[in-house]
Amino acid sequence: MNVAEKKPRIIQPDSLIGKRIQKMDAPEKASGRTRYIHDINLSGQLYGKILRSARIHALIKSIDTTAAKALPGVHVVITAADIPDQRPIGVAKDHFPLKVGRVRSERDEIAAVAAESEEIAEAALKLIKVEYEDLPVIGNPEDAIKPGAALIHPEPHGADGSHMHLKQGTSIAHKGKPDNIAMRFDYAHGDVVQGEAESDVVIEDTFRLHYVTHCCMGVSGMIAEFDASGNLLMYSNTQVPFLHKREFAEYLNMDPARIRIIQPPIGGGFGSKLDIYPFEVICLYLARAAKRPVKMLFTREEEFLASPTRQPVLLTLRSGCKKDGTLTFRQVHTLHDNGAYTSWGATTPFVMMQTFSSLYRVPHCDYHTAAVYTNNPYAGSFRGYGNLQATFAIEQHMDMLAEKIGMDPLEFRMKNAQDASEVTGQGMSFKSCGFKECITTAATRSDYSRKFRENAANRNQPGNIKRGIGMASMLHVGGGAKIYPSDGCGTILKMDDFANVTLITGASEIGQGSETVLSQLVCEELGLPISAVTVVNNDTAITPWDVGVHASRTTFIAGNSAIGAAKKAKAKILAVAAKKYEAAESDLDLRGGFVIKADSGEAIVELSKLLRNLHFQDKAELVMTTFYYEPPSVHQDKGFKGDVSAAYAWGTQVVEVEVDTDTGFTRLVKVTGAHDVGRVLNRLGIEGQIEGGIVMGQGYAFTEDLMIENGVMKNPNFRDYKLVTAPEIPEMDIAFIESMDGEGPQGAKGVGEAPSICMAAAAANAIANATGVRMFELPFTPEKVYRALHGQTPKLYWKPWRAE
Amino acid sequence: MSLKHDIEFTLNGVKRRVSVDVTMNALAMLRDVIGLTGTKYGCGEGECGACTIQVDGASLNSCLMFAVDCDGRNVTTIEGLANDGRADALLDAFVEHGAVQCGFCTPGMVMQADHLLHKHPHPDEACVKRGIEGNLCRCTGYKKIVDAIVAADGV
Amino acid sequence: MTELKHYFAPTSLDQAVECLKDGDVTILAGGTDLTPQSQAGRIKIKHTLMNVRHIPQLSGITLEGKEIRIGALATITEIMEHPLVREHLPVLVEACDHFASDQIRNAGTIGGNICNASPAGDTLIPLLVLDAWELASMPEAKLYRHCMPLSTFFVGPGKTRKSLCELVTCVRIPVPAENHVARFYKHGTRPALDISTISIGVAGTLKDGILSNVRVAFGAVAPTPVRASQTEQALEGQRLDAATIDKVAAVARDEVKPIDDVRATAWYRKEMIHNITKRILSHVAQA
Repeated sequence: MNVAEKKPRIIQPDSLIGKRIQKMDAPEKASGRTRYIHDINLSGQLYGKILRSARIHALIKSIDTTAAKALPGVHVVITAADIPDQRPIGVAKDHFPLKVGRVRSERDEIAAVAAESEEIAEAALKLIKVEYEDLPVIGNPEDAIKPGAALIHPEPHGADGSHMHLKQGTSIAHKGKPDNIAMRFDYAHGDVVQGEAESDVVIEDTFRLHYVTHCCMGVSGMIAEFDASGNLLMYSNTQVPFLHKREFAEYLNMDPARIRIIQPPIGGGFGSKLDIYPFEVICLYLARAAKRPVKMLFTREEEFLASPTRQPVLLTLRSGCKKDGTLTFRQVHTLHDNGAYTSWGATTPFVMMQTFSSLYRVPHCDYHTAAVYTNNPYAGSFRGYGNLQATFAIEQHMDMLAEKIGMDPLEFRMKNAQDASEVTGQGMSFKSCGFKECITTAATRSDYSRKFRENAANRNQPGNIKRGIGMASMLHVGGGAKIYPSDGCGTILKMDDFANVTLITGASEIGQGSETVLSQLVCEELGLPISAVTVVNNDTAITPWDVGVHASRTTFIAGNSAIGAAKKAKAKILAVAAKKYEAAESDLDLRGGFVIKADSGEAIVELSKLLRNLHFQDKAELVMTTFYYEPPSVHQDKGFKGDVSAAYAWGTQVVEVEVDTDTGFTRLVKVTGAHDVGRVLNRLGIEGQIEGGIVMGQGYAFTEDLMIENGVMKNPNFRDYKLVTAPEIPEMDIAFIESMDGEGPQGAKGVGEAPSICMAAAAANAIANATGVRMFELPFTPEKVYRALHGQTPKLYWKPWRAE
Repeated sequence: MSLKHDIEFTLNGVKRRVSVDVTMNALAMLRDVIGLTGTKYGCGEGECGACTIQVDGASLNSCLMFAVDCDGRNVTTIEGLANDGRADALLDAFVEHGAVQCGFCTPGMVMQADHLLHKHPHPDEACVKRGIEGNLCRCTGYKKIVDAIVAADGV
Repeated sequence: MTELKHYFAPTSLDQAVECLKDGDVTILAGGTDLTPQSQAGRIKIKHTLMNVRHIPQLSGITLEGKEIRIGALATITEIMEHPLVREHLPVLVEACDHFASDQIRNAGTIGGNICNASPAGDTLIPLLVLDAWELASMPEAKLYRHCMPLSTFFVGPGKTRKSLCELVTCVRIPVPAENHVARFYKHGTRPALDISTISIGVAGTLKDGILSNVRVAFGAVAPTPVRASQTEQALEGQRLDAATIDKVAAVARDEVKPIDDVRATAWYRKEMIHNITKRILSHVAQA
């Protein structure tokens, strides 16, 4: 019997790449249904609270917890004395969660309570009596390196006063240090002496970069529960769940296999959750001692007081160039305030070196950092991770050098900007490079050159409002950063009988939209609509290993991992289809939920039907694949040289300001940005990242200032720590440069940190253009600008110093 | 023991009685006593807007309100607004315009935006920015939030 | 833990003043200040917490003869949107517009603002230059027992002349005459949600280029919002030309004795008082 020939169905090509794709969890979040860690409650839970130090630097003479323990509703009160096997945490292992014998900063944790309610826990804290003996306070790193300065982590001495010699490899927390130097970094390529000799112009300036903090809208918190067999379940907003699993196991003397970390949706990360902090370990100790689940949440004040900050930096930069505009050398010394304990802030030199050595072509570079203990808060990792600080200095010097040789600042930058396939002095290989295009695009769109000239000419004209325009570019890793033994990410992918995909990825979602991008990449491979994917990414018992969300790596590395798994699935599906429909695999493709003929788009079979056939045939099979992607980057050698990322990304921002010279109030009028992102994947998502990053950079440049005086935080609240509010945001014009990175997923590179990085530098250049006055310190509050305009700000100078 | 007081009020359209600690703020009552966690704690001081609710037709910070002061009043939280249907266009606009990243500020933003649109049904960008000046966001840079609210329009 | 033993929400002024007899009462109006302060432990709630929001005599904004009466419970939003205020007291609308946020304006009351007596209180500056009076009720009398010009009401940061037995009922502001001009300026980095670095209010009668009945008030430069008597004297009866304006600005700068704090230094505050006084007077001159 012959039924009328069915007309072949043609599936038109359609791509998800570059489209505006709605964030998958947005509807739930908008309607208030999402349960963040603050909203999760375990039955029988107790509430944990921490007693923090009442002194800045002091010996702990005694702690009396009797009254606290006796308060009805209190289950457990602990101090260091109750945890004899307590191990130090942190990057330099100099940090006991519950302080032993001495407090070194305002945030120091002395005791902790688990009680039936938050009110009871807080009341119990007030009943704990602590006796201190004050020690001299070191409120800035310059004092910490003076000869005879009090030591923050002194070496232990015996009762007879003699120096105790401890085993090699003992942590700083036990061993102490003979001085206040926590870490040092030294890097060089080329020979700066030669570079200086070749220069026609040399300038040297000191820059001071200040304390700011993450201010995630959701405060820090954790819930810990040990089950009857001693297995540990943690609800944690960590950005590095797998690293943490291993570390917590060490601190608790447990098998890491018995630790499970579940990551609830996070109320912001920005790098604040990349280290292990005392409150987390303390929460575990409380849960262990109380034998009940313990929930610990910060108040906003505590969030300010106890969270890591951005790394403050005092730096002196010496730069040179020839009169033809060729950059010759950069020599930089920095003093990093390490605070009382070492966290990721101390390692920002890893990134800063990259900027000093490789942002623009620099033949000779010499870099030195001393990270120095003080009694201030410690710094952690924060979006941009040292790059904001470095770029602030470098891009001001670019303007200043251009001015000295009488060259147009745009021309000066173009002369020294790199091209694709260049390898820098530090060994970074720029396979894809959109640097020059970023500069010219931002300059053209903002009409930079004309405005720059006109504003300068207008400086001395009457009128209190002065307009300024300033440019700055940035270089950052865009394909991960090989700083841990592996920079990889694992994916497990499965398809069900209806062509729905479950994507199980090690990469965490921290609000940046990684879930949506990974789904998009997988759907692009498999020819499915975005609604076909469910992402599982928040449970270490289920998801494969990923090193964590940092270094703008997630799209690149987790993306390539997801694509790898999807490609394997596609290959299997096409192999099955080829066999069944007697075609060559290479003639087939997946599109629109169908297996199609690649050349014509003719549908051969619905994908879901094929999968059901595969499942329910005699030799039954499911489509399940895995892939672990390790980027082709290398670890740096001992001289910090090496191609540490699989790709690099650039961005240029042109900032326009209006300075009211009567008040110093500087309005951010417009930001024109051009970002080399390799390829735009989710247009809606990437715009959101850029806009958010710009406003975060705006805060760093103009409004945010965490004021710390002699170790005391003066403004731990939103009233006096000013985040940017909606009426203050600038007009934004963003262009994307698609340099199509060969290694990147669909050509994309990482962008999470980029948009924050050059704002302050560009703003400084804009204020200089408007007023002729250079700002060497942040933030550009009205008073600071007014003082600078009225000659009330002495020129900052820090004599370059390096540790012995 | 702390002083308690019984109050009766309408919450998301439903009349109910609650016994509260007199010193408790409305935010704590909503989250801890009633169990509606959509309204968020951001700062407890009225500086961030994450705790925004609507009371008797006006938006306010629930962390700045005594729970007992809810007595006899008409209270709407994000849960009520989301289930109501009248704010569907606004919620859709937030999703479509990419105005949600981590989402923590979003319930407060939506509550404030809904109130703003009732007062100013066709606001321009400047009006919207002033209208949400009491709501902090750390992720989005506000631009897409403003776009969403302008697009939602007080239909 | 508080000493709080009694919560009371009176529905009449008589009930309220009766309760105030022993003075051990904390008054709850909008709550925008009391709630965070008491939660943080900075204010201790007394034996009785009295919620005054249900007392009808405390609300409303009305014209009574030649005065505008603003009930103590009027919220900042109600004030700035009320036709009487918009028509007769635009300088007060201006200050309200720069106050905190929409959410706080919807709940915060003028009575609370006045009793909170912040040195930087935004609404207080225009009230001072508009010659506002506060009225309060006390247990021994039936109606308005106590009224005081606002300029004498504030005695220190957070401190007023109001006794513990008094309840502020309203603010009365004389309707400004013809040729009345008034300006308010708040200096900060944001349009609102900001405690001002300095604020300035200027008012007077402007006729033929001469300013008389001058009122000048400064915020955030003293323990309370203050009338600047020396600046007023320098300005009274003067023609608003460039020389006068320069001179008055200099007097203003010398008159104030601000402090350094986390928001600004004394030097900068003095500079801003000078520069902004100059700016405001120039604008008035061009009006």
